[in-house]
Amino acid sequence: MLGKLAVRNVKRSAKDYLVYVITMMLVTALMFAFNSILFSPDIRRRIDMAGIMTAMIGLATFFIVIIVAWLINYMVRFMLEKRSREFGTYLLLGMKKKEIARLYMRENVIMGMGAFIAGMAMGVLLQQMIMAVLYTMLQENYHLKLQFNRWCILMTVCCYGGCYVLALFRCKRRFKKMNIRDLMDAGNKNEEVKESHERVKQWLLPLSLVFLIFFGVWLFFGAALFGGWNGGTVIGFLVGLILVIYLFYIGLSSFIICYIRRGGALIYKGQNLFLLRQLSSKIRTMWFTMGTLTSLFTIAFLGCTVAMMFSDYQSKALEDKFPFDVQINSPDVEYDFSEEIQILNEYTEVKDIYPYYICENGTDQVNVWLRTHLRCFGTMYRKGGKEDAEADLEKIRNTDDGSYCRFDTYMKLSDYNYLRKMLGYQEISLKADEYALHIKNRVYRETGDFAGHLTVEGDAGELKFAGYHMESFSQDGHNGGDYVIVVPDESAGNLRPYYKELVADLKGRAPAGLADRLDDIGRDDEVYGHLDMAGDLDDEIEEDEEMVPNSCFGTDQIIVYAAVNLVRDNLIPEVKYMLSAIVFPCFYLGFVFVCVALTVLSVQQLSDSAKYKFRYDILRKIGLRKNEVAAAVAKQLFLYYLCPAVFAAGIAGTVAIFISGKFIFYTGISTSVFQYFGVSFLLFFGIYGLYFAATYAGFQRNITLHTRYELL
Amino acid sequence: MYDNIRVCDVEKYYGNDSNVTKAIDRVSFTVERGEFVGVMGASGSGKTTLLNMLATIDRVTSGHIFYGDTDITELKDEKLSDFRKENLGFVFQDYNLLDTLTMEENIVLALTIRKEGKAEIQRKCGEIMRILGIEEIKNKFPYQVSGGQKQRCACARALVNRPRLLLADEPTGALDSRSAQTLLETFTDMNHSLNATILMVTHDAFSASYCSRILFLKDGRIFHELVRGKKERRVFLNEILDVLSLTGGELSDAR
Repeated sequence: MLGKLAVRNVKRSAKDYLVYVITMMLVTALMFAFNSILFSPDIRRRIDMAGIMTAMIGLATFFIVIIVAWLINYMVRFMLEKRSREFGTYLLLGMKKKEIARLYMRENVIMGMGAFIAGMAMGVLLQQMIMAVLYTMLQENYHLKLQFNRWCILMTVCCYGGCYVLALFRCKRRFKKMNIRDLMDAGNKNEEVKESHERVKQWLLPLSLVFLIFFGVWLFFGAALFGGWNGGTVIGFLVGLILVIYLFYIGLSSFIICYIRRGGALIYKGQNLFLLRQLSSKIRTMWFTMGTLTSLFTIAFLGCTVAMMFSDYQSKALEDKFPFDVQINSPDVEYDFSEEIQILNEYTEVKDIYPYYICENGTDQVNVWLRTHLRCFGTMYRKGGKEDAEADLEKIRNTDDGSYCRFDTYMKLSDYNYLRKMLGYQEISLKADEYALHIKNRVYRETGDFAGHLTVEGDAGELKFAGYHMESFSQDGHNGGDYVIVVPDESAGNLRPYYKELVADLKGRAPAGLADRLDDIGRDDEVYGHLDMAGDLDDEIEEDEEMVPNSCFGTDQIIVYAAVNLVRDNLIPEVKYMLSAIVFPCFYLGFVFVCVALTVLSVQQLSDSAKYKFRYDILRKIGLRKNEVAAAVAKQLFLYYLCPAVFAAGIAGTVAIFISGKFIFYTGISTSVFQYFGVSFLLFFGIYGLYFAATYAGFQRNITLHTRYELL
Repeated sequence: MYDNIRVCDVEKYYGNDSNVTKAIDRVSFTVERGEFVGVMGASGSGKTTLLNMLATIDRVTSGHIFYGDTDITELKDEKLSDFRKENLGFVFQDYNLLDTLTMEENIVLALTIRKEGKAEIQRKCGEIMRILGIEEIKNKFPYQVSGGQKQRCACARALVNRPRLLLADEPTGALDSRSAQTLLETFTDMNHSLNATILMVTHDAFSASYCSRILFLKDGRIFHELVRGKKERRVFLNEILDVLSLTGGELSDAR
């Protein structure tokens, strides 16, 4: 009998809390789809660094389980409260509390399982979509294929079950404290508007806003205004931010109440008085939940923004990063690349292959200028760390941060033009007394024209500057770090070979694993395909004064891929996969957080519409038209929904624009700082719109259903 | 001009073809301006249905209701709400005050939706609160005051727009006898001083004794009518009780 009752109750609850059920289905689908990335055998085989994705998705899953558990717990408590009268009746009929608790648990588990099974079906579809995206990234064709990995299903079950275990952990205790009278009355209780110290509390609103403005100023100008950030201020601001997120709502509610009490002009127009009172009393009772929702929205916004940044980088910057099909570096200028050339000939069809030198003449003026003028170095390389102080040459020459080589990097015009031709750029011409600078676009944007500060000596005296070139040119350590100075061959007699490079242009695509084969040659000076910076070279310097470190990575940050052997067609999928390890979990996290938060908002409003429908009847009775009541409902929902979303957008927007600025600055990608947050914002409001529409429709149905019922 | 309210041959059926309930069965009567009319009857006699139709919340199955020259049974939904807003005031057993608004705000809201100016709203609101003696509690929320005070606030809200007709559905139903008496005296006062037309549905003889005329409903029909005239309230109360003692029996016994 209890089983039958449970099933019937589940049917009813599923109808009443459809938004919740759908969200749980979505969560299951997302869990399954993202987990299946971890267990895809193809990906594990193809990608060396699949572990990164596992770790990142694992981390995201951890937070998602906690938040979903919070949602379930919230809903379980919420439904319990709404159905207290019904449970009171069960008690009255003689059911034991234990039995009721068991019945309620059973209902929740049935509902959860139902959502899980339906969610898995959606998950299979979602899995296909995610896999298709991922395979496109890896530049492989994806054939629709249902993957039902046992471990993947098990993991999804565990995550989902984990949420329930966490959520239902303390639920039974609630039943112990029950009493029939309280249960029967609980449903009839209206909200009691308790107002006290509103005048004082309303100051929390301007205070929160001032804090937020201060936070923004600190974020953007902190380094300049307060002499840098330290751990203390960062923690201080973060704690302040969390506090402000919650206190803001107490302040807002009090502010509205005080405004109404003052008899502000707004309340004498239309239904404003009703709306403002509704809003302030709702926020008053819900301030903690609202704060939590704001936090969730903020995290979702930021997650999505970060995902957008890296995905933008994937699509825009990666091709630029590796302009050559194959590029190989050797710090040994005597090296002839014979083994590498053999491998290339064996496994690929080589269209063109070209070895050349990057040279030096024992000067470091460009390095010094950049180290003292680029923002990423700050005042680090100035004497005493002071602005406008002279360059601290000793420090610059002893540093080994890998940004620049010990000496400035030069190239002969003939080599340079050969490479330009290979890349399809127009060749340049220099007179015998001229030089050119090939520099990263990003660096140039920051420095502007600084050629006036340089004196480049040719064989016959000083050379004249003849212009910048900024096409993508593999300047993360191969063709110099950030820049290379191009001099005419006839004036290059004073240049000494610094390190050697080999570039190859291939017909068609490079086969998978080519980079691995090149790495496997295992030259002495590299470790797993990367230059051995730490060990041998230092020893050699001591032995041989002539040998100086000649490798660098440039000043790009956030995403730097420095390797001796660059094979573009192997690298791009690998890097894309690594970036996806950030993009996917960020989206995953953002999406789940938004859905959870919107579900809470929606369920709140829908149950209010059922509980407080008399309010709307009163409005009708005092003469509001049907469409006016509908408009009032829309406005009320809109205000209530908008509050946490707009507040979160304000906080997240500030932070997002700040980090976008940093990201663009360090990666040199050319995008507006507003784009990443803008797209996140649109995505967010897309999902938001769906939930809002569903809630509005449900709300209207609930309050009109009542009138019909009343009439009959 | 609107001077009286005429209910002509009104019928109201509930249910579908196979199962029809007649809630109101060919009822006709007239309420003159400034009258305080009571409608009495047992549960299920159709008195609330009748009130709802007069209140334009429910539609008649057949028949007409005229407010002056306006036949409200012919009005469309939109017009009905406007009509309600301009002509009617309501007082219900469960007060129907908005719980999130203070006493004063409940009254103010009824005025703001009529798009009146701030000064006008404040003047009218202050005046009606003074008349009904609820000025001291104007900043309290409904849950903070007694039932009688809530009901007086509901009256103030209903009367602040000077409605053509005040409809009261069991207004004393949830009040203790002391509060009920105060409220009914307020009704009588308003009836006299503001010349308000009041139609009150009640099953309580004591409440009904404050009316100037009483219609008795049974099974959807008017089966009796009492007019107070110049009689003492106590005498009128006894007459009402006499009628009620008969309603327990057959309809013919009452006649």
